[in-house]
Amino acid sequence: GCKFDAGQVQQVLEGALASALGTMVYSPQGSAPLAQSLAELLRSQAKEVVPPRYKLVCHVLLGQQGQQSLLVASRALWDPESDSFASATFSNTSLFAVATVHGVYFE
Amino acid sequence: QMIFNADEAHNIVKEVVIESVLGKADYNHNKVNQWTAAIVEQSLTHLVKLGKTYKYIVTCAVMQRSGAGLHTASSCFWDTTTDGTCTVRWENRTMNCIVNVFAVAIIL
Repeated sequence: GCKFDAGQVQQVLEGALASALGTMVYSPQGSAPLAQSLAELLRSQAKEVVPPRYKLVCHVLLGQQGQQSLLVASRALWDPESDSFASATFSNTSLFAVATVHGVYFE
Repeated sequence: QMIFNADEAHNIVKEVVIESVLGKADYNHNKVNQWTAAIVEQSLTHLVKLGKTYKYIVTCAVMQRSGAGLHTASSCFWDTTTDGTCTVRWENRTMNCIVNVFAVAIIL
């Protein structure tokens, strides 16, 4: 079959983040549900371009744009022949978002 | 039928890994890279020692505490009977750390 195409998934993530967040402003109450709905949206959009038999883990970080520094790292124990991940970021003057999708092949 | 033990994973990550890597350190931009790498690698090593037939994905975010808000969310497409996740939140005076563990079952 086909493999997880990281480049294609990254493009999907970037497009989806930009159109969903565009000129959105950070708010403490609104951002929690927004992060959850973003995770679900990105997961379903990624599913459309990923081959069958792949399990997906989509993770989103949404934060207020301030003077702070942030680093996100991930490691996985998997089969490097078939499994991979893609990530994308978005920021405007009020907020920033980091999204990653890991694809794990299921025999 | 295997089930992911989230409490066990939570304990390992919080008490064993994060505490030993970040412990009493203050946020340091030059060290963040090696801290996050150490946290995800040690978490994976400990999880593997549990000896279960799972693939694992571990993510770690370390943020300087400056009053800004941060939210994380995830959505997964998998087998809900065997696969699972756990999230560990840790903080000290100068930084926040959020670690997510995702466990995906494999059939041998």
